[in-house]
Amino acid sequence: MNRRHFLRTAALAVAAFAGRAVAAPLAAAEKFFKEPPWRRKKPYWGYAVDVAKCIGCGRCVDACKTENDVPREPFYFRTWVERYVLRRTGEVSVDSPNGGLDGYPAPREPESIAQSFFVPKLCGHCENSPCEQVCPVGASFKTVDGVVLVDRKYCIGCRYCIQACPYGCRYFHPELQVADKCTLCYHRITKGLQPACVENCPTGARMFGDLSDPESALTKFRETERIQTLKPHMGTEPKLVYKGLHKEVR
Amino acid sequence: MKDIRHLLHVAAAFVVVIIGFLIARHLVVPKSFGRIGHYRADAVDEIKALPLRYAGEQACAPCHRAQAKAKASSRHKGIRCESCHGALQAHAEAPSSLKPAKPKEGEMRAFCARCHEKNLSRPAKFPQVDPREHNPGVACSQCHPPHQPK
Ligand code: HEC
Ligand code: HEC
Ligand code: HEC
Ligand code: HEC
Repeated sequence: MNRRHFLRTAALAVAAFAGRAVAAPLAAAEKFFKEPPWRRKKPYWGYAVDVAKCIGCGRCVDACKTENDVPREPFYFRTWVERYVLRRTGEVSVDSPNGGLDGYPAPREPESIAQSFFVPKLCGHCENSPCEQVCPVGASFKTVDGVVLVDRKYCIGCRYCIQACPYGCRYFHPELQVADKCTLCYHRITKGLQPACVENCPTGARMFGDLSDPESALTKFRETERIQTLKPHMGTEPKLVYKGLHKEVR
Repeated sequence: MKDIRHLLHVAAAFVVVIIGFLIARHLVVPKSFGRIGHYRADAVDEIKALPLRYAGEQACAPCHRAQAKAKASSRHKGIRCESCHGALQAHAEAPSSLKPAKPKEGEMRAFCARCHEKNLSRPAKFPQVDPREHNPGVACSQCHPPHQPK
């Protein structure tokens, strides 16, 4: 064995061992980041809506405004209910008078309607939330249990986040002059209560629970039903899922 | 020698600016910022401490056993007390401090219609009536006890 041969063999051996030494932690890191965060953290909150159960009574909208001091005027909503009307002509119309707070009048021209249903909307507490990413000061953030919140004392009121949310789930609070949004009733869920909208839903169309608990009703719902999120192509990965969503729903 | 003095001036200016920046940063950035993530950790506690308005159904049953029991075996079992009676945390803490609302006879038909009025947009299997045709003029509660509708 000459010196050159020895050096080459040694270098190959070192490279092989170095490769193995790096590969294991890399695989672990990859697994860590691919795995949903609720495998790692307990609790981790999620939400589901069963569209076929919603009767459009608006109790949730009222409860949300009451619980969270959301201004009563239209345009200020942390959650609202939309009504879709699909006509036989193919025309699709969506309305939400006062967010559904006062209920819905019967739709006009019932003969021409192919389908009509209600869709409750709220913040999806996205895993990759655009609103959190655009905040210039760190006033929008995600808690360790997966809830996207706004720090009212730190928000400078620049409204970037309101622009950034593809779901329209934020509004500018007219009195506090800060961005405001659904907190999943963080002050309730951390005390073992349900969010006000879930508490007040008469039909069980709204569901809230712990994604990290394999036995929770929400986990079971996600595992047994065919669920969807809104605007999946945006890559936001909302933790709000819908069952029975029509393709026209945006 | 003169060149080094120049450099020392610049270095001193840098040190002053950096120290000034650190002091300003210390004064401006809130104490708890960054403790958990890129946000003010105290904000989480502030939001947790917001006041409750809805007590939740489990709070009502100990004092209103009759209504809770009636409702638990009825078609209205899925509806929480406060969906119909409003936010009652204050009442649940001190019953005399807040007298809960309950729909009056005259408002009953509109109150029940909120959920039960016939509407094409509602799921077809949900029980619905047309209040103009379904026993008009009589309060719904005369025939359907609200806590145990039949
Ligand atoms: C600590 C016991 C207590 C708890 C808890 C409580 N109540 Fe009451 N409630 C009372 C008492 C006592 C009265 C009668 C007060 C009066 O007539 O002035 C009352 C009255 C009422 C009335 C009005 C009855 C009427 O004839 O006007 C309603 C409705 C009601 N409660 C609903 C609720 C609901 C819903 C809850 C759960 C959030 C609740 N209560 C929790 C003790 C309680
Ligand atoms: C579907 C709506 C609805 C729900 C749910 C409901 N209530 Fe009522 N409640 C009413 C109405 C309507 C009245 C008034 C009845 C009347 O005046 O005839 C009433 C009356 C009452 C009264 C006055 C005494 C009486 O029986 O008339 C009490 C107390 C009361 N409710 C407590 C409760 C509690 C506690 C719960 C939860 C276990 C509850 N209610 C759930 C609609 C509801
Ligand atoms: C917040 C919404 C809500 C309100 C308000 C409400 N209900 Fe109901 N009601 C329901 C739900 C949900 C059911 C259960 C439907 C089911 O089991 O599919 C129901 C069931 C019923 C049923 C049974 C229907 C059947 O087919 O057996 C009757 C009767 C009824 N309600 C009458 C009333 C009356 C009378 C009032 C007014 C005092 C009232 N409801 C107020 C939501 C409501
Ligand atoms: C005079 C008594 C009376 C009054 C008042 C009355 N109902 Fe009824 N209701 C009945 C009877 C009897 C039935 C069952 C037979 C039927 O379907 O008509 C019934 C059935 C229902 C059903 C079940 C329908 C279904 O398809 O399963 C609902 C919901 C209902 N009523 C709601 C109401 C509401 C809301 C009001 C007030 C606006 C009201 N009722 C007033 C007697 C009454």
